[in-house]
Amino acid sequence: MTKTKRLLGAAVLATTFGMPALAEELNLYLIPSPSSTAIQSFIPAFTEKTGITVNVTEVPYGEAHQKLLLSVQQGQGQYDVAQYDNTFLAPYGAAGTMLPLDAWIAASAEYDIADFATGQQDYGKYNGQTLGLTLSTEPMIQWYRTDIYADLGLQPAKTWDEYMANAKAVKEAGKGDGAMFGWGPNASWWWMTLVWSFGGNLYDADLNPTVNSAEAVAATQFFKDMLAFGPEGGISATGDDVTNKFLSTELGAMVQYSGYWGMALDPANSMHAGKIGTAPMPMGAADITHLAGWNIGIPKDAKNPEAAWQFMEFVLGKSNAKPYLLAGAAAIGRNSISSDAELLAIHPYLPLLNIPASSRIERYPQIRVWPEFEKAVLDALPAMLNGEVEIQAGLDALNETLKPILAAEAAN
Amino acid sequence: MKARSSIERQMARLAGGLVAPSWFLILAVFALPILGAVWLSFRNETLGAFAPPKFIGFENYSTAFADPRFWESIRTTIWLTVLGLLVQIPIGIGLAVILERNLRGTQMFRTILIIPMLLTPVAVGLMWRFMFDTDLGVINWALAALGLDGPNWLGSRWGAIWAVVIVDSWQSIPFIMLIVLAGLAGLPKGPLEAATIDGANAVQVFFYVTLPALGPVILVTLMIRIIDSLKMFDLIYIITTRGGPGTATQTLGMLIYNTGFGFFQTSRAAALGILMVLMVLPIYWLWQRAARRG
Repeated sequence: MTKTKRLLGAAVLATTFGMPALAEELNLYLIPSPSSTAIQSFIPAFTEKTGITVNVTEVPYGEAHQKLLLSVQQGQGQYDVAQYDNTFLAPYGAAGTMLPLDAWIAASAEYDIADFATGQQDYGKYNGQTLGLTLSTEPMIQWYRTDIYADLGLQPAKTWDEYMANAKAVKEAGKGDGAMFGWGPNASWWWMTLVWSFGGNLYDADLNPTVNSAEAVAATQFFKDMLAFGPEGGISATGDDVTNKFLSTELGAMVQYSGYWGMALDPANSMHAGKIGTAPMPMGAADITHLAGWNIGIPKDAKNPEAAWQFMEFVLGKSNAKPYLLAGAAAIGRNSISSDAELLAIHPYLPLLNIPASSRIERYPQIRVWPEFEKAVLDALPAMLNGEVEIQAGLDALNETLKPILAAEAAN
Repeated sequence: MKARSSIERQMARLAGGLVAPSWFLILAVFALPILGAVWLSFRNETLGAFAPPKFIGFENYSTAFADPRFWESIRTTIWLTVLGLLVQIPIGIGLAVILERNLRGTQMFRTILIIPMLLTPVAVGLMWRFMFDTDLGVINWALAALGLDGPNWLGSRWGAIWAVVIVDSWQSIPFIMLIVLAGLAGLPKGPLEAATIDGANAVQVFFYVTLPALGPVILVTLMIRIIDSLKMFDLIYIITTRGGPGTATQTLGMLIYNTGFGFFQTSRAAALGILMVLMVLPIYWLWQRAARRG
């Protein structure tokens, strides 16, 4: 079956691209990050192997996605390979920004998509087409201080109730703050995770918002209640702040994307290196895994798509999976490396990236209006968390705000 | 006579030719983008290709007027501007008056005061963001050392607004001080000496002679600062992470950014931009009048 798929993929490729001669130059569009740095470390070896010169343009996250959209709309073929956040998969997909990679993937034994857990194979898919390879696998996981937990005889929480109980125990024992979410400018990351975990949804199949359901209210209430066990400034903490506070203050636990692990490794960032444990995210009414991370793909106007695929296959293929992580990249959830002892010494959470089939994977909502949707959530949450607005009333109002936003998605 | 007007015509043509590149540049850099933005504001262009682009008349403008975020952003912009001016203008003038006296150490003090103005707003924003951190920041640490309970600067609406005002003031007061200092240096000494001889004390001289004489300078400074405050973006982007918490510090400029570059709604952002320009125009006109009077 696999062989048939590969042959079919090769046939599609041959038809589509007429087996063109490989380019002499490739232009990469990367976003400064550990993944970007790791990718660049492979350039000399790739050039040596293929003779293809690789140029890199790094664009800060804040403007990277808009710039790529503009660039592809102009059709100048400026970039052959582009890194992007999975949250932009839908806007890119709707705008036709990226080339489908399915034929290449199906034909590549080196990339070996089967090495990824079933749910994660779809990570770069939009409307059934794969528009990006997985550049990092970053589920929300539980981080905890092994020394504090050992002192108090605590175990990593399996449920949200246990998570709160642990936080309370740490706080009451005077060991520091109990636990933390990011309640500030990135609060949506945790809030939607909790809504899903408590059994709710952000919208239904017809794109009607459902953020005022009983499950969402309970999730928001829990989100607010946890403020009491976090640091005083937690209400304004960004995603980075959460990790910084966990690594530089006395804080029992946090729920955070695994991609932040790089910060924990750096003694300049972490006061608690060697005292940090990881565990699956606590479970609520539903067993879900909120999965985030980077994608990398080929812009529609790329001048050298074949060489671009060759580069991506070289860097992200099975053979270089381990060197890629050793080069400092955020981890990719490949089955073949999840029990590698050398890697586990650096990334002890690797087994958590092989998300079991029982856990429903929730990506950022794959809707084009997600940025506006998320902003509406972020605008509404502070008043509820501050206690200025009652949670049910706040979510009712948010639900109304989201209706026209989702209607715009449904209309197109 | 005829020969002379011919020379004049030639000179006028020459002058026109010499100035033409500048006009061309101004047209290309300023006029065309503004016209482009006006054109864009009447369409439904998006970066995310939500729908086929077409002319939609004033729909983007009516959407803006119907959007509570638009009015809230205007209120926030006005609050930040008014509070900023109330802090910056008196302190800037006060410092200028002190420095104008050329007391010992004035040179060094002046140099130190000018430093904030020289720093890039992004670096300033990052630095202050850390300082405002409730748990790790030096400001609340210092307040605690004095026995005071520091507010949650970036976690509450007014805390965040005051945080932005404080940082903006820290950066802008040196500018006001320098302008007023230049104005003070240009004042004729006669009226000041006459007032002193007539028995006016220092406070009376300041309020009845110096300040009225500085009127046009202060007015120009005020106009510049109002325009600066209205278009303030970078500090808010960094300090409160794009206008948070919620929409507490989302100014009109920030809303335009979020609409255009956050939601990819290019045409809606263009319409908001045009509305912002229309809001700033009267202030610019007042500024020009004040500058002419000055």
